[in-house]
Amino acid sequence: MEVRLHGRGGQGGVTCAKILAATWSHLGMSVQAFGDYSGERSGAPVRAYLRVDSSPVVNRNKVYAPDHVLVLDHALCDAAAVLGLRPGGTLIVNTMEDPGALAERFPGYRTATVDATGIAREHGIGSRSVVIVNTTIAGAFARIMGLPFEALEAAFTAMHVERDLPAARAAWDAVRVHEAQGAPRAAPASAAAAPILDLVDHVVGAAPALRTGAWRSTRPVYQTRPAPCSTACPAGNDVVGFTRALATDGPEAASEILARTSPFASVCGRVCAGYCGHACNREAMDEAVNTRGIERWIGDHATIARADQPQTGRRAAVIGAGPAGISAAYQLARAGWRVDLLDAADRPGGLLRSGIPPWRLPREVLDREVDAVLAMGVHWQGGRRVGPAELPALAGEYDAVILATGQSKVMDLDVPGRELNGIEQGLEFLHDANLGLATQISGHVVVIGGGNTAMDCARSALRRGAAQVTVVYRRTRAEMPAIPEEVEEAEEEGVQFRFLRAPLGVYGSDLVGGVELAVMESNPNGGAPTMSEGRDWIACDSVILAIGQRADPATLLPEGWTIRHGQVHALETPLPVFATGDLATGEGTVAHAIGDGARIALQARAWFDECKPAGPRPKGVVRHSEMRFSYFDAIPRLPARKRPAAERVAHSTEVDLGIEDGREADRCMSCGHCTHCDTCLVYCPEGIILRAGDGYGVDLSQCKGCGVCARECPRASIQMVAE
Amino acid sequence: MSVQLLTANHAAAMAAASAGRANRTARGFGSGVYPITPQTECIEYLSGLEIERGKVVLVESEHSAMAVCMGFSLGGARSFTASSSNGLAYMAENVYAASAYRLPIVMMAVNRTLGPPWNIWVDHGDTLMLRDMGWVQVYCEDNQEVHDMLLAAFRLGEDPRVLLPVMVCQDAFVLSHTLMSTDVAEQPAVDAFLPPLQLPHRLDTRARTVGGLDFPHEAEVHRRQLHETMGRLPLVWKEVQAAFVETFGRTLPDPVVGYRLEDADVAIVCMGTTAATARVVVDQLRAEGINAGSLRVVMMRPFPGEALREALAHVAKVAVVDRDLSPGIGGILWTELCGTTGHPMAQGYIVGIGGGDVRPEHLARVVADLRGRSTAGQPLIVEVA
Repeated sequence: MEVRLHGRGGQGGVTCAKILAATWSHLGMSVQAFGDYSGERSGAPVRAYLRVDSSPVVNRNKVYAPDHVLVLDHALCDAAAVLGLRPGGTLIVNTMEDPGALAERFPGYRTATVDATGIAREHGIGSRSVVIVNTTIAGAFARIMGLPFEALEAAFTAMHVERDLPAARAAWDAVRVHEAQGAPRAAPASAAAAPILDLVDHVVGAAPALRTGAWRSTRPVYQTRPAPCSTACPAGNDVVGFTRALATDGPEAASEILARTSPFASVCGRVCAGYCGHACNREAMDEAVNTRGIERWIGDHATIARADQPQTGRRAAVIGAGPAGISAAYQLARAGWRVDLLDAADRPGGLLRSGIPPWRLPREVLDREVDAVLAMGVHWQGGRRVGPAELPALAGEYDAVILATGQSKVMDLDVPGRELNGIEQGLEFLHDANLGLATQISGHVVVIGGGNTAMDCARSALRRGAAQVTVVYRRTRAEMPAIPEEVEEAEEEGVQFRFLRAPLGVYGSDLVGGVELAVMESNPNGGAPTMSEGRDWIACDSVILAIGQRADPATLLPEGWTIRHGQVHALETPLPVFATGDLATGEGTVAHAIGDGARIALQARAWFDECKPAGPRPKGVVRHSEMRFSYFDAIPRLPARKRPAAERVAHSTEVDLGIEDGREADRCMSCGHCTHCDTCLVYCPEGIILRAGDGYGVDLSQCKGCGVCARECPRASIQMVAE
Repeated sequence: MSVQLLTANHAAAMAAASAGRANRTARGFGSGVYPITPQTECIEYLSGLEIERGKVVLVESEHSAMAVCMGFSLGGARSFTASSSNGLAYMAENVYAASAYRLPIVMMAVNRTLGPPWNIWVDHGDTLMLRDMGWVQVYCEDNQEVHDMLLAAFRLGEDPRVLLPVMVCQDAFVLSHTLMSTDVAEQPAVDAFLPPLQLPHRLDTRARTVGGLDFPHEAEVHRRQLHETMGRLPLVWKEVQAAFVETFGRTLPDPVVGYRLEDADVAIVCMGTTAATARVVVDQLRAEGINAGSLRVVMMRPFPGEALREALAHVAKVAVVDRDLSPGIGGILWTELCGTTGHPMAQGYIVGIGGGDVRPEHLARVVADLRGRSTAGQPLIVEVA
């Protein structure tokens, strides 16, 4: 019996022939298996051959008149595939097509089909560019040939591919057969071999040019794909963009990219939790790029140049001058709107000014970026508290009103002893401390809560005279919502922690004398901890509450007005009034506020048909498993520099000094973004990738779709797509 | 014996490894290797095999690979390498040195067309280029023979009456990459067949010069010694054949192997895997009433001129089918056959150079041409597309 296999280089056709040979050999037959070997590599049509006989096989020719034909790539299932196939022989093809449909094209043969590619892909056999189908289709072929599955198992084991047995089994089960009908259309067997020339006939001249592009079933496409840092950024910053721009074109170019999404590079580069860096693919190689440090460095080293925009004539009032309000005002100003920025405070900044301590965010840094926004023509109206009575008039006066008043209602503690003197709300404490109003605090201070406000309160208390500070949190350290870096810094400065403790009461007479705590038990399923019988006490002189806050639209919206998807409605009528930031989303971070402010600006403009609203987050983010780390040198992360704990507590100076210089940007691998590194061009086995314009061109007449370029691209910015 | 499904490359590596192990009680085994298609799988596989007191050294070129083998061999180790085509060309200087130093190194050569232009398929021109280098040369017909011949090559080359390197040749891809059932020799049998190597001139603590200056008369003596050793070789081969069948129960081929020659009027003479195809054609022709036969030349060096003369004496017309071309004269097998047998009508045909798939139809056409001739003429190149 003779079998011919048709596949492409890289699909494993030769190995398939060898596996089948091993199967028949296991059954005591004499076998022979070999392939066509050539200079062509992946993607080229390749044939393999199998002979099975009860007596020793001596014929060493290729197979010209096969009893059966096995086609591993349905694109190769053409007249050439069945050339010489004996009438009644089996044609088995890797295709989703029905065997009956195949029989119509190839009458006179027994046809069988199986979606080996789908099965192999499901079982994860092969690479992202080439699915290896050989072991899968071997299962189908063995079934069609009536071989026992045990023989196939033995062959797989002998060939060390037993891992693929489940796929072979799936193909064994899935293969469908259509019995032969009629007579074959194909030419007789002898035509399969090249003609025998007369001994004196000689063909002169070179072989015709081979248009290898005809082999292609997939083609490379250069694509810019989302980098994980950028998609992780709640502010919507093009992190990979500004990082690459810093590395290649310097801080001004990088700043220009940042300015598209955020007016707060220096601010956010200091106070953000650094979502970008936590998503960085480089973490899987050596260490994540310090992208937050880079953002800060750009903000601190680039001049802020804001181009004048042509005015649209539209006017907006932004109520609330925190990060969301300023972000919205900034984006509207960039779009040519005239913006009035209203706030009850006498300086813009919101929580950036009242909530975040200066030793985390120096006020000159904040002022510089806020002033740059005001310099764009955003008109500051401080001391303006807007309530339900004023809002309808404002909505009539302006084309649009943006509400960004944040979370105005702080959560309180409903326990015995709450009325004692010496208990204070954290945000009030921070407000007074940050604005230099607070009197000194002393003795032992207990801070209740586990978020960033709690950390800021604890550390501010230390700086304002507390002898001892203890943070009490009802869950574990790992569950703290605070930025881990801030927790570490608090620890360095001497803040103590008591985890899995919830306040039951405050005791004392008139003045706080201590807190009574319940010992909590962690919930193994990640839910809320449960209270145990255990009790714990801390003697202290004051208590600061930092247990959260929430939005309170009732202090702003008139009766009957509601917020739906960021837009305010009067009963069912949508108004040109929009809500953003913590007021609308409750996300609670500066980066989220910036992102939401920009998004609401777009939404407001879209209301006036100036633009489209923000689309959904892009899909297809580059995963670290898609990166080719071997192309990158290991370079240590440039660490942030910090002042010693004693010095920063004593002088209330900025804790974090940022990175030393911008060369950290050179560590960026530019995930999903072509850097014109030429790797594709160098590795293309056909040499048909050429520099073209601002990228590369592929000569598709010669590209055989081998996928080497996509496989070798260090940053996964080439995709193979089906023809 | 254990029957395994192996390519000839792997079968060769297993033979070399077991031969190497068999020298573990003496000076061990050493191999200098450098990859080249289509033999790479052989040295790759060899490198992964466990060989007690053995070492496989990957070097930067074929020239160095043979130099490493010579070093091992001079030190008394059993030595093996594999190469092909342009690799053999680059190795050539040391190929000659190995025989001049009388080192029983064994090389598995996969026959591949010399480039450029580049071609990876079978053609005997590469090893035939080395036919005058003082090595024994044999050409195999199947995977089993590659395995067996390699074991025999060590025994033959190491015989104190021989002390010559041996080249075991096989057809690219047709054997090297084709999976066939192969009886793999068990280690105890190989141990019995290949006693520890006793190289009389191996380097030891005594001062010794190897390969110094040869004045004309000394050179005459050395060349003559090589030639006379080749002359003795067929007798030693008979002993090796006898020992082999006794140990392993399989036979090794004679230097020439005839098929249905006894009453043949026409005969096809060829080497390597073409011989299997020739037998198919002989059977077809016999069925048509034509008295055809065939003859495979197994041993190219020493050239079995006498055996060929005897085997073909009664055959009126002989088609010598070469899978090589020496430009300016024709097939090398043909020229040597003519020169040694003086056969009155040996017509040369060049078939399957550059790796064409030589099918029965091609050889049938050759025989038809031969039968239509009354005298032999210039060699013909047969195109095998």
